[in-house]
Amino acid sequence: MSGRVIVITSGKGGVGKTTASANIGTALAQSGASVALVDMDIGLRNLDILMGLENRVVYNLVDVIEEKCKLRQALVKDKRLPNLCLLPAAQTRDKSAVNPEQMQKLCAELKTMFDFIVLDSPAGIEGGFQSAIAGAEEAVVITTPEMSAVRDADRVIGLLEAKKDAISQYRLVINRIRPNMVKTNDMMSVDDVLEILSVRLLGVVPEDEDIIVSTNRGEPIAGTDNTRAGQAYRNIAGRLRGEDVPFLDLTPKDPTWINKIVKIFTPAARV
Amino acid sequence: MQVLNWFFRPKDEGDARSRAKDRMRLMLIHDRLELPPDRLSSLEEELIAVVSRYFEIDRQTTRFDLQQYERKAALIANFPLLRSKS
Repeated sequence: MSGRVIVITSGKGGVGKTTASANIGTALAQSGASVALVDMDIGLRNLDILMGLENRVVYNLVDVIEEKCKLRQALVKDKRLPNLCLLPAAQTRDKSAVNPEQMQKLCAELKTMFDFIVLDSPAGIEGGFQSAIAGAEEAVVITTPEMSAVRDADRVIGLLEAKKDAISQYRLVINRIRPNMVKTNDMMSVDDVLEILSVRLLGVVPEDEDIIVSTNRGEPIAGTDNTRAGQAYRNIAGRLRGEDVPFLDLTPKDPTWINKIVKIFTPAARV
Repeated sequence: MQVLNWFFRPKDEGDARSRAKDRMRLMLIHDRLELPPDRLSSLEEELIAVVSRYFEIDRQTTRFDLQQYERKAALIANFPLLRSKS
C-alpha cells in the first residue's frame, strides 16, 4: 500500500484547520478508505477533542518519534469508524520535539499502513509548519474570506510553491463563507478570494452553527446528514479522491415579496 | 432623506467587499515581491527622470501601477508623450 500524505495548513490560526482535518479525515474514512489523522500541533493538541477521543489517548506522536512506543500503540481508533485512526500530538512538549527528517520517516511508515494520511499543521510558518509539510505530498490551504487570513494563506502558498518538487499540488478551501454578507457586498466572495490568490479551489464551507455543536459532542460534522458544512466536507473528501463533485450552491434564496417590501421600509444600515 | 439615500446610494463603490479586494491586491503584490514601501515611488521618480530626458511627458496623466497576473506582478507604466526633446 502507498497512501497519500495530505497536509492541512493555513498560516493564520483560528480559521478552522483542525476542524477541517477532523472532517476531511472522517469523510474520507466514511467513503471506505483507511485514514490516519496526525495532530502536528505539538504543545497545543486539539484534534483529539474534535474527534471525541481525548480520553483514549495513551501515547503520542513524540513518543513514536523518540521510540518510546511502537507506531501502532500510539494510534487511537475512532469511536465509530474502524478504518480511521488518530495519532495525537504531545501536550507537554514543544514544536522542536519533531524535526522534518523524523516526519518524513514517520510518513513513509504511515504510507504503508493507510490510504490517506491527513496532517493537521500548527498555525504559523516556523518549525512546526516546516515539519508538517516535510512529509507531505499534497497540501490543502484553509482560509476564511477575511483579509488577514487571505494574506497568511498567500504566504503559505508562496512557501508551498517553493517546495514544488516535494509537494505536487495544493488546493484551497474557503471556510466560513456567509452568503448573505457576500450578497450585500459586505464580505469577499469565493471568486474574489480565488482571483486574489490565483489558486485552485478544493471546496467551500459555509458558516454553520452546527460546527460548534459537533465539536462539543466530539463528533465531526461530516458524519451528520442534513448539515451544509457536513455536506461541504463530504464533497471535499470526494474531490480529494478524484471525483468530480459540483460545488454547493451557497447563494441565499431570494427574499419573498413580503420581505422585499419590509426591506424597502427599513433604513439601510450605515457604519 | 433616508429613503432617497437608499434609492440613490452608489452601487458597488466603496463597499466593504471591494475595499477589501483592492487593499488585498495591493498588499499581496508588495508582500510577494518583498517590496519596501518607498521603493515604488523612488522607481517612479527615476523612470520619469529618464523618460523626461527624451520626451516631454504629460505628468497629469502619467500612470504607474503594479498589476497582478496569476501569482506574478507586472509593472505597468504609462507615460503619455507630448513631444520629443531635441
